Amino acid sequence: MKRICLLLLLLSLISCEEVVDVDLEESAPRLVVEASLLWNNEQEENKQVIRLTTTTAFFEDKIPAATGATVTILTATGEEYVFNEVTDGVFTHENIPPVLNVDHQLVITYEDEVYVATAQFVPAPPLGYVEQSLGGFSGDEVEFKLFYRDPAGVENYYLFRYINEKISLQIYEDEFTDGNQTFAFFSDEDAEPGDMVGFQIEGISEGFYEYMYILRSQSGTGGGPFQTQPSIVRGNIVNTTNPENFAFGYFRLSEKNMLTYEVE
Amino acid sequence: MKKFFLLFVLFTIYDLSAQENYVVNGVIKDAENNETLAGVNILIPELQRGTVSNEYGFYSIKLPEGTHTIEISYLGYQTVSQQINVDGNLQLNFDLSAAAQDLQEVVITEDIERLNISRPEMSVNKLEIATIQKLPVVFGEVDVIKSLLLLPGVSNAGEASSGFNVRGGAADQNLILLDEATVYNASHLFGLFSVFNPDAIKNLKLYKGGIPSNYGGRVSSVLDIYQKDGNSREFEANGGIGLISSRLLAQGPIKKDKSSFLVGGRSSYAHLFLKLTDNENSAYFYDLNTKLTFRLDPKNTILFSGYFGRDVFKLSDSFDNIYGNSVFNLRWNHVLKDNIFSNLSLIYSDYYYGLTLDFVGFNWNSGIKNFNFKYDLDHYLNENLNLDYGIHGTWYEFNPGEIEPSSSSSGIISSKLIKKYAFESAAYISVEHNISEKISAEYGLRYSSFLRLGQEELNLYPKEGPVTFNSRFGIYETTDPIGTKNLEKAKVERSFGNLEPRLALAYIISEDMSVKLSYNRMTQYLHLITNTSSPTPLDVWAPSGRYIEPQSLDQVAAGYYKTFSGNSYSLEVEGFYKALENRLDYIDGANLIANDAIEQVILPGEARAYGAEVLLKKNSGRFTGWLAYTWTKSEQRTPGRTAEEPGINDSQWYATAYDKPHDLSITGSYELSQKWDFNANFVYQTGLPTTYPSGQYQFESLTIPVYGLRNSNRLPDYHRLDISATYTPKPNKRSGYISSWNFGIYNVYARKNAVSLSFRENEDTGINEAVRLSLFGIVPSVTYNFKF
Repeated sequence: MKRICLLLLLLSLISCEEVVDVDLEESAPRLVVEASLLWNNEQEENKQVIRLTTTTAFFEDKIPAATGATVTILTATGEEYVFNEVTDGVFTHENIPPVLNVDHQLVITYEDEVYVATAQFVPAPPLGYVEQSLGGFSGDEVEFKLFYRDPAGVENYYLFRYINEKISLQIYEDEFTDGNQTFAFFSDEDAEPGDMVGFQIEGISEGFYEYMYILRSQSGTGGGPFQTQPSIVRGNIVNTTNPENFAFGYFRLSEKNMLTYEVE
Repeated sequence: MKKFFLLFVLFTIYDLSAQENYVVNGVIKDAENNETLAGVNILIPELQRGTVSNEYGFYSIKLPEGTHTIEISYLGYQTVSQQINVDGNLQLNFDLSAAAQDLQEVVITEDIERLNISRPEMSVNKLEIATIQKLPVVFGEVDVIKSLLLLPGVSNAGEASSGFNVRGGAADQNLILLDEATVYNASHLFGLFSVFNPDAIKNLKLYKGGIPSNYGGRVSSVLDIYQKDGNSREFEANGGIGLISSRLLAQGPIKKDKSSFLVGGRSSYAHLFLKLTDNENSAYFYDLNTKLTFRLDPKNTILFSGYFGRDVFKLSDSFDNIYGNSVFNLRWNHVLKDNIFSNLSLIYSDYYYGLTLDFVGFNWNSGIKNFNFKYDLDHYLNENLNLDYGIHGTWYEFNPGEIEPSSSSSGIISSKLIKKYAFESAAYISVEHNISEKISAEYGLRYSSFLRLGQEELNLYPKEGPVTFNSRFGIYETTDPIGTKNLEKAKVERSFGNLEPRLALAYIISEDMSVKLSYNRMTQYLHLITNTSSPTPLDVWAPSGRYIEPQSLDQVAAGYYKTFSGNSYSLEVEGFYKALENRLDYIDGANLIANDAIEQVILPGEARAYGAEVLLKKNSGRFTGWLAYTWTKSEQRTPGRTAEEPGINDSQWYATAYDKPHDLSITGSYELSQKWDFNANFVYQTGLPTTYPSGQYQFESLTIPVYGLRNSNRLPDYHRLDISATYTPKPNKRSGYISSWNFGIYNVYARKNAVSLSFRENEDTGINEAVRLSLFGIVPSVTYNFKF
């Protein structure tokens, strides 16, 4: 939809964007769980980090950390991994081996309420190569096509990251590309020849794909005739003590593969 | 069908028994170019009897034997008054001449308004194309739909949004007819302009309520537009050069007074400038209007008309987008009997949407096609009864999309979403009945039926249906189908039938005052699948069927009508209430693009709208214009299917994206001299609903706003003043090359009206901010119009 807006802007060169003051009401804070457990086979050690924060006023600069929680992962095979809070709201564990087809349960106790979430490890294919070209409206944006081969016969969902000065995310599904050599697309107007940029692919579940799909539509340029309705985006974290006081965020276990590329 | 035939016979018999009168009929035309005139008043003052010419200029009236004065009057034309001697059935055609430009002349409006007061027709707005052409508009581009927004009860979802909203209804609930053919997308450039070339249009009528039974298929309104027939007297060309587009229209006789042609084209040309600057990007639109009219004899006329329009966007090589409508129709007007006029229409129309996204590596196309058959009869039974009856049938093919790789390096696998088919039909009868001197009525009944035909791979679901509520996470999810069903196209998968009663009543208090009441029930079998505030060109239409019920609406309206000071002023006040069932709403995160199973992401809800409208018009003098004020509330809600489910927006009513409680527009036109003509309009509207965030959080490096209930906040109020002037250098010139200039200023005081408020993280500073997007500042324009 961004491109449509761009076209609209092109058509009415007199349109303008301006930062304005708006008084906002503030809702009661909720727990936010960022529990993305990532593994890369080539790394010897995969340190896992879980971040707990809370929601805050929209114009607040600082995101408050949720401290004093206990964070544990239990597996269906009876393993138990207890995370340590290393700094405020940041919980780590040095060594969790990735196991396929086993339910992992995240259990968080925060302010006397128990939050749980269940997920399984999702593998990801290796990254192939990068094609680079110039494009965009004015023709000076660097465009990257990041090729990979989608495994055939299974539904796959991916999260891609492009890492330069800024990080940008893309999510893909393979409904129309199943089993093919295909690509993820990124463009960067600030990329210069010689820049080392990073690409990352992560295997994700259908549920997390749907979640990110909504999340991205909410974080984009809100409003306007082509914008979808905003909504409360619920992840897979359930408050078992008090379901009404649900938490935002997601718990997932993904394989990641990386590729570094020098901009030509 | 049988019953229908019986009714027809019955009326014919009744007809014979009332044969103490003679029938006077004929066609009313413009003297200058032979265009038929619709809505002309035919009055016999001494008998207090009158009628109105139909869309094809035909009238028929029963008169007793003897000598009568017949008065033919039409706004903007000189009234014709003629003595006629009725001693048998008579055929009388009238040619009306345009009212002279002389300002001293008082155009007789008395009888015109009198008829409007006494007829049961209500909630109808007509706009003369001449009025539309003078209104100040953005970029000076004369726009039919944007002009409608100045009328009470009509609004849109913000500047540069496509479509329009009538009495709190959605944009897909308007039936837009161009020469009786349905137009599916009435916007160019995402809503900046409408698809109708104003030069090719003869007249238009907007029904907001009290919709007669000859219309159906959309619940909110009917916009009935007729193209010109073409000048059958002499060749004529006119056109205009504007900032955005230029247009040219040629028309003339094929055989003088018998047959004519009309061909018109319009195109924008901003893309040419981009080409000059070596920019490969492109955005333009064009449309073509054609018409051929053959008056075979006084009883038979054949009309062919066509429309073809496209929008083209190109963003270097990576984005290529083409979409538009095509319409072709053939009509046969036939006078069956002196008092029965018939029209047979055979119509093909389609809407095409094509998109190439090179950065995803795919080509996409989708659309809707239909073949439409209509047979409509106007039966002028006697002085107190006019009947309209007919049958309609439409066959639809819905192509929700086809995907193919755009190049050999693309990883896209060709895939076709399943085509869907349906057949919609209706039979109706409508009676205009003068019950007494004080009371007149228009009542009718429409029976509509919709057959969803067989298709390949219709999804089947377990008993909880295509949408599942996940109570653990508190969210709606799609259900995986448990199988599919293949059914031949000729077989009926699911059928619907609905009776749609319509009623309008007028009580005449005095010659210049009346009250009216109307009720209409409408059924809509097609749903535009869109979850944005305003429809986009890529939205697809979905037919009702196994998983989608038709939309059904009830509307009641009441009104008060008055004319003042010798009819130079008229006042209309109306109130209405609408209740709509089966309005689709979308589960959070519904992906509507290339979705072959729309039923998995929708939930049925309801909508309601109510409000009041005031229209005060000054119809004559140097200064003319109107003031329109509307107060409305337009809401929808989608409750959970069971007590456990939260529905959408916690089952609460919420304001629709186009809800504008207060909407005021003032339009004025002042004729300073024959050379100079000034126009202005002022618009004041409550800001559109929006949702402010009540907090934020971070996830995966994204800043996510936390939203509360939908549409509980509003954008700042919208207001704007536009002015324009028309300069005609040689106003008295009647033939040869005639030209005029139109100068306009849109948004004179350059108010930065918000189109949207975005709450987002600043890309550079990382700080959250609220950003107001405003589209048009002050926009001056100039247009040159010519005619020869």
